[in-house]
Amino acid sequence: MSKVTINIDGKEVQAESGQTVLDTALANGIYIPHLCHHPELKPRGVCRLCLMEMADGELITACRMPVIAGMVVKTKTKKVDKAIRPTVELLIAYHHDTCRGCPAIGKCELQTVMSHLKIDRKRVRRLRPPPAKKPLDKMNSSFDYDPNRCVLCGVCINTCEDIHGVSLLYYVGRGHETKVAFYGDEKKCESCLECLARCPVGGLMLKKPVEVRH
Amino acid sequence: MPEKKCTILVCQGTGCISGGAEQILNSLETELVRQNLSGAMQIKHAGCHGFCQRGPLVVIEPEGIFYTKVTPNDIPDIVHSLQPDTVPVERLLYYDTTINRPIKSFRDIPFYYKQQRLVLRNCGVINPENIDDALAAGGYQALRKALAMKPTEIIEEIKKSGLRGLGGAGFPTGRKWEAAFQAPGKDKYIICNGDEGDPGAFQDRSVLEGDPHSVLEGMIIAGFAIGARHGYAYVRNEYPFAVHRLGIAIKQARKRGFLGKNILGSKFSFDVEIFQGAGAFVCGESTALVLSIEGKRGMPRPLPRPRTTEVGLWDKPTLLNNVKTYANIPLIINHGSQWFASRGSEKSKGTAIFSLTGKVVNSGLIEVTMGTRLREIIYDIGGGIPDGRAFKAVQTGGPSGGCLPPELLNMPVDFDSLTAAGSMMGSGGMVVMDQDTCMVDIARYFLDFTQRESCGQCIPCRIGTKQMFDILDNITQGRGKPEDIDTLLELGNSIKDASLCALGQSAPNPVLSTIRYFRDEYEAHIYEGHCPAGVCHGCL
Ligand SMILES: Cc1cc2nc3c(=O)[nH]c(=O)nc-3n(C[C@H](O)[C@H](O)[C@H](O)COP(=O)(O)O)c2cc1C
Ligand code: SF4
Ligand code: SF4
Repeated sequence: MSKVTINIDGKEVQAESGQTVLDTALANGIYIPHLCHHPELKPRGVCRLCLMEMADGELITACRMPVIAGMVVKTKTKKVDKAIRPTVELLIAYHHDTCRGCPAIGKCELQTVMSHLKIDRKRVRRLRPPPAKKPLDKMNSSFDYDPNRCVLCGVCINTCEDIHGVSLLYYVGRGHETKVAFYGDEKKCESCLECLARCPVGGLMLKKPVEVRH
Repeated sequence: MPEKKCTILVCQGTGCISGGAEQILNSLETELVRQNLSGAMQIKHAGCHGFCQRGPLVVIEPEGIFYTKVTPNDIPDIVHSLQPDTVPVERLLYYDTTINRPIKSFRDIPFYYKQQRLVLRNCGVINPENIDDALAAGGYQALRKALAMKPTEIIEEIKKSGLRGLGGAGFPTGRKWEAAFQAPGKDKYIICNGDEGDPGAFQDRSVLEGDPHSVLEGMIIAGFAIGARHGYAYVRNEYPFAVHRLGIAIKQARKRGFLGKNILGSKFSFDVEIFQGAGAFVCGESTALVLSIEGKRGMPRPLPRPRTTEVGLWDKPTLLNNVKTYANIPLIINHGSQWFASRGSEKSKGTAIFSLTGKVVNSGLIEVTMGTRLREIIYDIGGGIPDGRAFKAVQTGGPSGGCLPPELLNMPVDFDSLTAAGSMMGSGGMVVMDQDTCMVDIARYFLDFTQRESCGQCIPCRIGTKQMFDILDNITQGRGKPEDIDTLLELGNSIKDASLCALGQSAPNPVLSTIRYFRDEYEAHIYEGHCPAGVCHGCL
């Protein structure tokens, strides 16, 4: 593997050829917002938060862009901000209204994105709230799915596909009603819980032990 | 008096069939026998003639006598008029209100003679279920010619013609073919995109129903040019007649040696299979369509990625073009690239096909040279706005397009002018609106469509289109907030820039264009609680 040098936000960094810009940035301590990226998975490019501005002004996702020697990219321009800030605001407007009880507290990628962008919660209020809170999905005997916390990054789906060859989880529905569900035979799920471990937010969660009431 | 010899064309397009064109055929057969004329007359089942609003249509050739809104009860009179020393049935002729008299031949009706029917050349003229009819009209001559050329020569011709893809984006066809030709690999595929998921468009359906052989011929030539042996015609499920007729055409073409092994004695083999799509709008997007043929959920793949011409169906190089793009190919091969390139505007060659609908006197399927002015389309071909109402806007490109105001009526219509004006060629839908249309309501209508059809994969499109719809819905109900216009603009620009595929990238166009040209209507709704067109019940 040969080394190449690229320029991210004015900083020269070294990368392995074949690496993506996002992986390079993260390895060099430069944070670029992202939700659907996972170091062990193929980049999906669906959350659209790692958009960066190329030298010619084009916006491209850093997670799918391989490094090219000498490339100059910017991740904090006005153009990038105008594209991704409303995206994050929309996501929050449609997100569970409280972090209380969320299994992701302390390791939540959405919170990282929000604090990086200094999201103004007051601005979110100009947006219309979602039609109704969606019911919790009792996925199987070991975990639940909260569509109000899921960001549909697809990491669980890709993880399952990696492990089982074909993903047992898949998208169902369309538009804003899209969610993740078992697709086909859920009995094949071995409860390896790798999907849950990799969930960047609190979309998937372990079932609470059943309380026995007297 | 010698007997007249005529051909009676009965339009069998979807529009006319739903109007009762099949019963008309039956009555016609019986009546010809009853009036002793069956020997001299030939009945022809034809594809869509285009003037769907006046259907069911019956045309008597060679004179081109054009009967509109025909019912089975009219058949005795029509057949009688075929007897010697008779005159056409005046009450069924097209009545031109501008000159206040009926017009006998369709060739003299502005709706037709202002058009330039190249792709639609055979629609409504030949019997699409009879290959001999297609052959008599010049079908498969271009294939013979192409098989004697080198693939690179064919691609050069297509490049020089300036043809751009008619699936919406207007990508140069020759460049796409060249990329597919140059892509390494033995197995390559041809795909014809007949998904046509836009609610207002029906031109691909009409071409498939009216002239399937031209589409097949284009696909075969494409296969020969790029070195593919297999083709898929992706036709949407809701198009049963199109599937049926294309199926017949494929069988007939195989029998005559235009499809199959060693086509016309050459070393080239190629076959076409029909794939019926599940009907989601997003499956018309090229990468989603490929996944859909592979049996997966149709979700567009993000850039950067290899082009479909390099990694397409089953990861093989794949050439994907629209129905009308393929139907243009035989024309270019037959007449030469120069002939084709001499038509159209500087950067958009050939013709554009629109489904002209809405508040317009003559609606239907039309084809005009690229660069024709909006005014000519709406007023000369379309006959203007009915009932003396005022023209307000024209929407082009369906859910991905925008609304253009009266100030732009002199605009020449082509790919680039439409995009510059904030609209798109898109699916080729063209909806004319009069003073009674509320522009906020129109934007709401289109966003309702896209927010439902979003595949849900990426955040800006999934939540953003729903959000824009909710805001528009609030505004039409008199519940808009003062900052809503700014919010819509901000969201719209973000969704355009951040969305993964062209569905999301173009979804804000109906909103952005109506704010750009009709901002005062938004303001009236929001600040005065008033709908200037009197449409929105929440604010009157
Ligand atoms: C949401 C969406 C829907 C589309 N639907 C169609 C369609 O129904 N038919 C079509 O030919 N192209 C459609 N397209 C465009 C195709 O992606 C592709 O550009 C086109 O089929 C290529 O053919 P052409 O080069 O002949 O235009 C659609 C694109 C998007 C983003
Ligand atoms: S995933 Fe959990 S911790 Fe993260 S923002 Fe949502 S509710 Fe809060
Ligand atoms: S833009 Fe819309 S349709 Fe396209 S990938 Fe994103 S969610 Fe799906």
